[in-house]
Amino acid sequence: MAGVNMSLGTEATISPDHTDVTNSSWLLNRTVPERNGSVQVTGSAVKECTQISIPTEVYLILAGISLLENLLVIIAVIKNRNLHSPMYFFICSLAISDILLSLTKAWEAVTISVISGKEHLFTHVLIKILDDIYDSLLCISFTASVFNLAAITTDRYITIFHALRYHNIMTKKRVAVIIAAIWIFCTFTGIIMISFAKYDGIVSFFFILFFITLVLILSLYIFIFLLAQVHAKQIRSLPGYRAHQRTNFKGALRLTILLGIFIVCWAPFSLHFTLYLFCPSNPYCACFICLFQVDLIFIMCHSIIDPLIYAFQNPELCNTFKKMLCCFKRHA
Amino acid sequence: MSEASAVANKTTVSNSDYIWRYEYYDDEPVSFEGLKAHKYSIVIGFWVGLAVFVIFMFFILTLLTKTGAPHQENVDLSTKQHRTNSFAINYIMSRSDKAFSHRENEEPRSLFHCYVNEIVQLERQQFVNKAHGAGNSDLTTRGREGRSDSSDDPMNCLTKFNIPNFVSSDQSSSLTEDDLLMCEQPIIPENKPDRLQDIHNISD
Repeated sequence: MAGVNMSLGTEATISPDHTDVTNSSWLLNRTVPERNGSVQVTGSAVKECTQISIPTEVYLILAGISLLENLLVIIAVIKNRNLHSPMYFFICSLAISDILLSLTKAWEAVTISVISGKEHLFTHVLIKILDDIYDSLLCISFTASVFNLAAITTDRYITIFHALRYHNIMTKKRVAVIIAAIWIFCTFTGIIMISFAKYDGIVSFFFILFFITLVLILSLYIFIFLLAQVHAKQIRSLPGYRAHQRTNFKGALRLTILLGIFIVCWAPFSLHFTLYLFCPSNPYCACFICLFQVDLIFIMCHSIIDPLIYAFQNPELCNTFKKMLCCFKRHA
Repeated sequence: MSEASAVANKTTVSNSDYIWRYEYYDDEPVSFEGLKAHKYSIVIGFWVGLAVFVIFMFFILTLLTKTGAPHQENVDLSTKQHRTNSFAINYIMSRSDKAFSHRENEEPRSLFHCYVNEIVQLERQQFVNKAHGAGNSDLTTRGREGRSDSSDDPMNCLTKFNIPNFVSSDQSSSLTEDDLLMCEQPIIPENKPDRLQDIHNISD
């Protein structure tokens, strides 16, 4: 009976029962006897909540799409000098964290599918180290993603509410310092979280982080939205103006999509760790915990949708991207 | 969290194989006997709750937009005015062409910049009105003036739009919003050439 490893999504376990190691059994056979003692005890796999596993191909496809989109964003920002402003630097930083997330996840999936069945070729230490490295990188990219989203929201807030002093507040040097601080803190956090993964407090740290960032993003966007309504009312109150509810509706829809996607993609992962902390042996919690890989898929989807809602909503960036495509077509 | 001790115990087993896969084990076996509700009830409840929350949030936001119901609905279907409101929302939501950060704008989007500028002017005018206790008429005049001017003279809007850039990129970083507004005092809305002159005076 193997122990528990709280590394993110992977587990380096030592199983005394080596009968099922012949091929990539983890993909096919999920009800291996030693996995869960209760299976042997009850003997019925029907009532069990087994770990839902996602094939490696799905990870690779999602990672490929995310890599492509975020690379396009970064290249577009680099090529167009008009886009060298704080807002786009934050979007670039978000794109980098999304690339790191997708690449790490894809590499981990590939490594697992390669190694499973051939464990005897690799030393235990090597596999453990690889496992830790992948988990640290995932942790770093998760926290960086969340912090970059918060930074983008704060930047938009300052743009709206301190419009006249924006240039003094967001100098290029300050932006560089902020982005560097985010990445250094995330690297530090990721390494610490994996090194001390056996302590419960570390797991709750991620949930607290997500919750604080969610509250921050929600409140900032609500403020921005309220100000937009105030402006809209002012413009509407001018004579000779006819109200168009449709545009306000579109604003509300856009904000709902933005916040909704963030919540939908990150909440399952955070709830997973919360349930793992507080009720790991509860059968209901265990069934949610078994859906861990689905949670990871949602986070990868978030890294795919991020460029669409943050970067490509921007006409300037879209135009740059179209020019790049036209140039590429002309050369090809 | 991690059962490092349990793993450490297993290292003593000599004929063990290292398996690396996506799995979670529990300390004690999870008994699935005697479940009152469906075993995926937390999963279903979570996703339903999330969907309800998102829809609720959407309705709240839509309600916020509808509370400002227009008092007068004119038959005049001015597309410019429509674009004003849509740009008010889109400007704040998308922050696409922040001419705050660019002095030169090769993109031919002067109308958009004008409407963005209009919002900034409205804000500034409100500050000025508060400071001097002026009525809403100034706001109305300025707003109307801004719109009609913007359609006639795009260059005017582009020059106006550079005001925050020029003033804030000044050496005195201690400029507050009040200082900026004081600088803007001499600008008279009605007289267009004078306004251009004042703008150039500020920028120089």
